[in-house]
Formats: sequence, C-alpha cells, structure tokens
Amino acid sequence: MVPRTWIVGSFVLLGAALLASPLVLGDYTQQILAQAFFFAVAAVSVDLLWGYTGILTFGQSAFFGIGVYTVALALAYYVEGPLATIGAIVVAIAAAAVVGGAIGWLSFWDGASPIYVAIVTLALPVVFTQIILSGGAYTGSSSGLPIPTPAFSLTAWYWIAGALLLVVALGAYALVSSDAGLILVAIRENEERCRYLGLRTGRVKIRLMAVCGGVAALAGAGYVLFGSVAAHSYGDFVFGTELVVWTALGGRGTLIGPILGTVGVNYVSALLGGNLPFVWLLFVGFAFVLTVVYLPQGLVPAIGTGLRRSSRALGGMLVSRHTAVPAAKVRVVASPASGVARGHGTDDSAPVLELTDVRKQFGSLRVLDGVSLKARRGEVVGIVGPNGAGKTTLLRCIGDGREPTAGEIVINGRRSGGLPPQDCVALGVSRKFQTPNVFEALSVVDCLRVARSYRRPTSPWRRSPTLALPEPALHAVQLTGLLSVLDAPAGHLSHGAKQALELAMVLALEPTVLLLDEPTAGLTRDERAAVGSVLRSLAESHHLCILLIEHDLDFVREISTRLVVLHQGKILADGPLADVADSELIRTIYVGGAAR
Amino acid sequence: MTTAPSPQRRAIAVAGLEGGYGESPVLHDVSLEVETGEIFAILGKNGMGKTTLLKTVMGLLPARRGRVEFLGEDVSGWPAYRITRLGVSYVPQEKSIFQDLSVEENLRLALRDVSRFGERLDVVAEWFPILKSRHAQRAGTLSGGEQKMLLIGRALLTRPRLILVDEISEGLQPAMITRLQEVLAQERRAHGVTVVLVEQNVAFALGLADRYAVLKMGAVVESGRAGSTGARERVEQHLVL
Repeated sequence: MVPRTWIVGSFVLLGAALLASPLVLGDYTQQILAQAFFFAVAAVSVDLLWGYTGILTFGQSAFFGIGVYTVALALAYYVEGPLATIGAIVVAIAAAAVVGGAIGWLSFWDGASPIYVAIVTLALPVVFTQIILSGGAYTGSSSGLPIPTPAFSLTAWYWIAGALLLVVALGAYALVSSDAGLILVAIRENEERCRYLGLRTGRVKIRLMAVCGGVAALAGAGYVLFGSVAAHSYGDFVFGTELVVWTALGGRGTLIGPILGTVGVNYVSALLGGNLPFVWLLFVGFAFVLTVVYLPQGLVPAIGTGLRRSSRALGGMLVSRHTAVPAAKVRVVASPASGVARGHGTDDSAPVLELTDVRKQFGSLRVLDGVSLKARRGEVVGIVGPNGAGKTTLLRCIGDGREPTAGEIVINGRRSGGLPPQDCVALGVSRKFQTPNVFEALSVVDCLRVARSYRRPTSPWRRSPTLALPEPALHAVQLTGLLSVLDAPAGHLSHGAKQALELAMVLALEPTVLLLDEPTAGLTRDERAAVGSVLRSLAESHHLCILLIEHDLDFVREISTRLVVLHQGKILADGPLADVADSELIRTIYVGGAAR
Repeated sequence: MTTAPSPQRRAIAVAGLEGGYGESPVLHDVSLEVETGEIFAILGKNGMGKTTLLKTVMGLLPARRGRVEFLGEDVSGWPAYRITRLGVSYVPQEKSIFQDLSVEENLRLALRDVSRFGERLDVVAEWFPILKSRHAQRAGTLSGGEQKMLLIGRALLTRPRLILVDEISEGLQPAMITRLQEVLAQERRAHGVTVVLVEQNVAFALGLADRYAVLKMGAVVESGRAGSTGARERVEQHLVL
C-alpha cells in the first residue's frame, strides 16, 4: 500500500494545482473541465459500486438526474437564496439515497443473481426519463428547465467542481482503504463465502447503493447550478452507460482511473467533437472496444503495471490498490478468549446440534432421505460414505436453513429452518467448503480480516494495523505456515494453502458447530497431521462440536470420536469410532464395492 | 536420472521452463521428459509449483522462459485450445464442469465429432456408471466426488493421446481410487495414452506410474522409476522436509 503521507501529499498537490491552474487555462478549458469534474464525481460512485463491489449499474445517471431536478424544481418554483439552495441540495441527496436504498432492497434479496441489479438499474433511468418527459411545462419536458443560478465566476465554478471531486475522491479512497472497504471487495470476489462468514451482504450492498445514489445526486445538484438548465438527458440511460464506459476505459477498481477516464474523454471530445462530431463518437467507441479486448483492466492499471516495473513506489499509486497490504505493518495477535469458543460453564452433555428426519430432494432425486442425528460439544463426528451418499448435502442443510426439503434442525437450542447462511452463522455454525473458497484478489491477512469482521465492528475510515484472531484460528495460521505468506494474494496460494486459509477464516468466526468438508484434501501427510492436531485440540480444549467429511479412513480414525456412515441419503451406522470403523459395513460399501 | 527417451518416443519434453503468476516466479528451470505411453507422476508438497507447471505447459499461464514440446510439436507459447487439438487433455484440480448443463451435455461438449458420442459414452459409462444413469441431472448438483468422475470421464471420452491430471484422487472414496487406477492402466494398454499425474496421494501415484519426479521450490529435485526400491521413502522424505 502507498504510505499515508504520499496520499495526503498528493491530494495537497492536486489541490494546489487546482487553485493555480486557472492562470494557464483558458475560459473554454475551465468550462469543459468543471463539467467533467461533476461527471467524474458520478463516475467515482460507479467505481465504488462496480469496480470495488462488483455491482454493475447503468442507473447512476438517474441519481445524477434526481440531483439535477430536485434542485432545479426547488429553485424554479419554490425557494431562492443561498441557504435554500443548500437545503435543496441536502433534500436531493436524501431523496436519491432513499431511492438508492429502495432499488437496493429490490435488487439484493437472497439468491438474486448479479444480472438482476443490472436490469433494475437499466430500467431506472428509463423510468426517470419518462417521468421528466411527461411532466409538461412543470419539468420542462424535452426542452429543459432553466433556473436562476448563483452568480459565481467561471473560475469559481471550476474551483468548486474541482474541490468537490477532490473531497469525494478522498472520501472514497478512505472507504476503500478501510476495513469496511475490504468487505466490498470480498463481496465482489465471493459473495457466498461472505454470507457463510456471517456477513449480511444484502444490507451492505443496500447501504452502498444509498450512499452512491447520494453522491451521484450531489454531483447532479452541483452540475445544474453550474449549467443553469436541467435537461432529461442527464438522467437517461445513455448517460448512465457513458459513466460505465468512462469507468471501464480508465480502469475500474482504481478510483483514479474512472476520474481520469471521465475527464480525459470529456476534454478530448470537447476539443474534437465540435469539428468532427460523428468521427469522434466512432473514435470513443473504437477506443472502448480496444480497451476491453487488450487492456481489460483499463488504462490506468495497464500504465501502473508498466511503471511499477521501473519504479515500484510510483507505480504503486496507480495500480489497483485493493490487492496490496502494508507488508511489515500487519501483526497477527491473539484476541482475548471469548466465552463462546471456550464453552466454560456450558453443559457438554446437551446436544448443540440436533437433526430430526431431515430430507432433501433435487427433483426426483432423493439426496437425503430422513437423517436424524445429535451431536454434542467436544465431539468430532466423522461422516463417511461413498461418493454421492449425500455427505456434502447434509452439511449444506445444516449451514443453510433454507436447504432442507423437510425435517427440523436445531442449533444451540434454536431452529434454523428458513434461515439464510448468515443467520445460521449467528446460531453458531460455520462451514468450510469442499473446494477451497477464499477471496482470490485479497491477501491472506485481508481474507482473515474479512472473516474476523463478523465478530468485530468494521471501520469505514481506517484499516486496523493489527489483526486479532481467536486462539484456534491463530493456531491454524501458525501450524500451516500461512504466517510467512500473509501478504500474498490468496489466489496465488497453492491448493493446500488455500484449504488451510479457509479453515483459519472459518475458525475466526468462533463457532460452536464446525462443518468441515474434506479439510485435508490436497494436503501432504505432515500438513494433514498438523490440521489433525488443530482439530483435535479444538474439540478437546475449546469444546467445539466438529462434523467432518473425510475419505481418508486413517485420518478419520485418528481424530474422530464418533463415526457416522451415510449411504444413499440414509444413516446406516452411527456409533463410537472403534465400533464402526472396523465394521463389515464400512468394508462393503466404502472400501470394497464401489457404487456400481 | 533414468535414461532419457529418444526424441521420436517423447510425448513431452520440457526444457528450462520458468513461470509463475504476475511477478512472483514459481517455476525455476524445470526440465523433464515423458515417453509416449508412459504414466508419469509429479509429486511434491503444496506450493512447490505442481499445478503451476501443468497450467504453464498447457498454455494457461505464460512461461517466462523455456520450451515445451508435446507429441513432437513445439507448443511453447501456444494457447490452450490449440494444444488440445493435438489430442491433449487437461483435467484441472478445481472443478471445471459446466454447472448448469446436464451430465450428458457436459460430456457431449468434449467431443468435436459428436457422431461417436454414443459409442464412446458406453465405454466410459462402464467405468463410471453414474455418467449414464444420471445423464439428465444438472452437473452442478452432483456431489464433489461425482464431479471428479465426470471430469475424468469427459477427458477420457475424447480418447486423448496425452492426458494431464491434477489431483484426481482427491475427494474420491477408496474403492473409486482403485477403479481409477485400473481405468488409466487399461487405457494405456489399449490405446497407448500417455498420462501425467500430479498427486498428493503418493501410494496411488507410485502404484500406477512408471516414473516420477519430485518438485521442490519450483525445480525438479528427485526423479526415478516408481517401482525401484526405496522410491517411496525417497519421495516421502521430500514431502516432509
């Protein structure tokens, strides 16, 4: 990451450049740039949504338009004076935030596909434009609504627009560099994993939609005061798409890229567009296609990569920064033991997990056919069975209350029926997936931070210098050698290291019931032994209840206290390790005769 | 080192290969040769570059230096789709099936000439019956182990001349691993397919392979005949240290 002084320094420099630049810039250039700065503020909101969080939105123009028309209607018909104008801006921001929240609420229900929000935000500008066009003389319809504007000089407007852009960019930078910003990237990378880490991703995205709607409305409000005419084209679908194109050209997920993209395209098109209106449009389209094909990350990351080869510090400012982390500054420390993990004073003999006649069907295929099971603290329940027996489905039903077709699951005395994964985490369950599921673009330590944010409130302003992990998670990190690669992007880790990382992430939630789907698959013998000893100590000293799917019978034998044999969705045997492990049953259905 | 195969008999020749992700090198000067019809195991601890090696020779990751030859062709710098047309099949470790397509559609997509599909499917379904009995099921709803069967079945369906397999035994029940061992051995007998296995399961790999190599820190540190005395001990030593 870039040192803080660099950031502050560069913003001071930019501010100074903004103040001084009217000395060398002509009126026309200032006019063009002031307009571009307002657009760039809206582009920053697109970047937060799309670049960082992965929410592709064509609708930021509608929020910009809400800003434009709220202020325009207020000044045209109802109020006048500087205070009232500020009031109108505040109302515009609030209105856009409410609409943004409502759009988010419509788009981000559990299980909505990412395309859904793109469609909803595509419809939004269309609806907005129709409302404006059908407003007759009141909204100015297609001919626009002229308004009385503050009598600032052109240079003053240039400074206002530039200052607004700097402030918004600084705020956005603070957000994406904070602990909360990490969660945004985590949602983009793997939303399912986030939910299983107990994060209410829907709520995060709705809030972000509201904030970004407000930011775009602020830009629109400023713009109409500067331009003095409200036109429906500032809220339409074309403008919404242009914002996305500028963001992509500059480089999404970099903040600086969308700003440079917006300012650059607007500046050049003002210079060339007057003389060559059609050729210029063709040129922008061509540049967009070329960028998407050859520099899919956009111009700024491409330039940054080139620069970084020669000068690491300078390039570091331009390269997408959400992958980098302060190297030496992060310390992983043990967090004070929490009562949940320790389980002192709790009664170990009462079951913490109770399944009654759980069934799951995919169409006509019965994957679970009436499974009943009880598990207590301190137990390591090994679940074995041939491929396709329903083992993973069983864990999925426990981790997500909406999964079972029928039956009842009680976790820590509370029913999980109908609860999404993030609520099941709150009941005390956490699940490690079969294939490693980590946040590929984040570093190891940031993956752990995201996991930890379920237990610790996250700051939207700052990145915590240390990472406090509960003892079991810390133990897992140390034993599996992750400490030496804390700064490496998780996507570059080997398969086994990803497995270890996901285990540590899951342990950071301090669960009571731990669901592990082949935690040692892809690990070597000694890594396997290390994970085995972590798991044993979790059950013994931390009184966790562990359900473990594993094909390696030797491993199961080493760490389980109890064995459950699943076959064709039914429990065929359930008992102490010694009784079941050497039974004829295991040999016939598992080791000897494959499911032919 | 064992004796190198003669140039005509080489299915794979990798020389001085360097590569990795972005700016962090993972492979340093890897060289190895695999003979046609051979089963060759690549072993090593996690993070030593086994998967990176497969991805680099398959053209899925850029090589920084070095040369890769498959079946007598210099394929250095070729994109993956072009390499597969030589009759090379790659079975990646992380699930790469089409989740929303049916089992049969997944299998059908592997063949360029669909006219032989029925006949080939019969052969593959003999080894992995679920591929036929569940042909209409959405592939994403198969269990993890079943998806592995689909992956290897799909690769074998194309009757490749060379097949690269990344940790196929992971997540399979013991009986299925034994079956897989038989299938690969039989394919080699019947069609002379060359097999490269990347494995953590040393017993499975050495039980099946003719020769092996151990990767450590992105370089080959040990290689030899899988059946030679003490091979397993030598390999395991590298896995512990």
